[in-house]
Amino acid sequence: MRRARLGWWLLAIPMSLLALATIYPLLFTANVALKTRREYILDRFSLTDSLNWANISTAWTSAGMGRYFVNSLVVVTLSVLLLLLLGSMAGFALSQLRFRGSSALFLGCLAGLFIPFQVVMVPLARIMADTALIDTYPGLILVYVAQFLPFTVFLMTSYYRGIPPEIVDAARIDGNTVYGVYRRIMLPLGTPALLSVGILNTLFCWNDVLMALVMMPSAENRTLMIGVTSLRGQYSDNIPTFASGVLIAAIPVLLVYLFLQRQIADGVAAGSTKG
Amino acid sequence: MPIGNTQPSVRLASAGRAGGPAVTSPAHRGGARPRGGLGAERYAPYILVAPAVLIIVLLRLYPLILGVNFSFTGDGDQNGEAVGFGNYQELFGDQLFRTALRNVGLLVLLLPVAVAIPGLLATFIYLRVPGHRFYRSVYFFPAVLSPVIVGAIFNLLLAFDGPLNAVLGSFGVGAVDWLGDPDIAMFMVVGVHIWATFGMALVVFLAGFATLDAALLDAARVDGASLRQVVWHVIVPSLARTIQFVFVTTMIGMLTSMFGLLFVMTSGGPEGSTYLPEYYIWIQQGQMNRPALASAASTILFVIMLVVGLLQIKLLDRSGKED
Repeated sequence: MRRARLGWWLLAIPMSLLALATIYPLLFTANVALKTRREYILDRFSLTDSLNWANISTAWTSAGMGRYFVNSLVVVTLSVLLLLLLGSMAGFALSQLRFRGSSALFLGCLAGLFIPFQVVMVPLARIMADTALIDTYPGLILVYVAQFLPFTVFLMTSYYRGIPPEIVDAARIDGNTVYGVYRRIMLPLGTPALLSVGILNTLFCWNDVLMALVMMPSAENRTLMIGVTSLRGQYSDNIPTFASGVLIAAIPVLLVYLFLQRQIADGVAAGSTKG
Repeated sequence: MPIGNTQPSVRLASAGRAGGPAVTSPAHRGGARPRGGLGAERYAPYILVAPAVLIIVLLRLYPLILGVNFSFTGDGDQNGEAVGFGNYQELFGDQLFRTALRNVGLLVLLLPVAVAIPGLLATFIYLRVPGHRFYRSVYFFPAVLSPVIVGAIFNLLLAFDGPLNAVLGSFGVGAVDWLGDPDIAMFMVVGVHIWATFGMALVVFLAGFATLDAALLDAARVDGASLRQVVWHVIVPSLARTIQFVFVTTMIGMLTSMFGLLFVMTSGGPEGSTYLPEYYIWIQQGQMNRPALASAASTILFVIMLVVGLLQIKLLDRSGKED
């Protein structure tokens, strides 16, 4: 027994080492981002003593990270709002309303879960080109919505199933239309689920590379993540500026994680337990 | 928590619905309502579902069929002409595609490692190893970073003149070309992928633990079971469904979300050693202008995913029943 307890405490060593391995790469990058080029070449590990913000502003302006940041912000915000609207509408109808074909429609939505983007990439690029949506905000937004809608509908449906049907009945008797029930009752009641699914979708869209790469070929339409991929060639001889660009792209996600850690983990967990 | 805690009442909705009035049958009460609203009300469920279904059908299901169809036609001069299995023949003759498939095999071999690490860590955290809260939030954090950010960070760390080699050098070990050696590069990319995603699986495992019957654990402890016995005889069988889920999602993650890492870390090199089907599809479509060939590769990727998913569900279902 005593030996077991000692072993339990000794676990702290590998687990802390792993924790260090988990955060060190980012701390290293942040440190490099604030170094001067000379400092970096002389010593990779020492703490920066210059707090050289110039790298950050170079990455923001000359490397175009500022512009890409705005592109990402617009596309992601609109995609997520649209996902939440369409997902909650469909989720409400599929869980609380009875109508012919509802289970077939639900299965149709679920089928989308099993089709990754890579599999439909080629025809999708063609469809987007044929409809002149390629290289436009609406085009990429549609692609993101199509990608993450099955998951959103699935989670919203599961969530709304947990709401007693009596609530809907009561609202109907009070004279609400179905749309009124959606807007006045279901949308507010769905807030916790909308929050979780919204945060997850924000991360998914914000972090995406492949869809943005395929759907936004021209340089000025790049999203932030595509900006990161182009930094390498541009600043291969100036590592601190490269690191600054990476940091700019990572900071929004880190902030979100810092404040909404629980909700993100809960969203992931909900996605799995509903499976 | 927000979504998770609705679970107990899930049954309510369908059960309570049986004799439920009104909502779903507005037509029955139609007589009392102004006629104008009637049609709109009756079709309301369809109108609410329509946008989602249309988008999914038009931009998911339809392209899937289109792509499979497209894979049997030719590229370039033969654009649109039926070529039977020509593209598939060409694929299997292509060294790069064969490497991509071999790498899929490597992923399958490494899969148990990618599942065991988060599973073990989740077990310790669930059993409240000292500092479990701290570990939980630190381990999860790389999972929220974009693959390209992760890739870019590791490009710095693994560079030939980078920190990892500097550390090795201080121990007197010679520098290794981590991303430039065809025998090593793929392992590095997969390793980084596991580094970046084990937090996701960890959280899923912890959600599974939440459904575990604590009385079972207590009973095992009272009976004097060691940690290893508890894990093997209580935790593993109780979590069979979660383990199955993590296996399938981890494999799918390896097949479909390593593009960013490959693109940034190795671009498929050195000598094409880090190709995966998804990267191959992108190269053929975007760089080589061979969309029909890319479609054939997409179809194969889809089949691989279906087979992997079904096989794992089958195997794990059987092992779950034996217990």
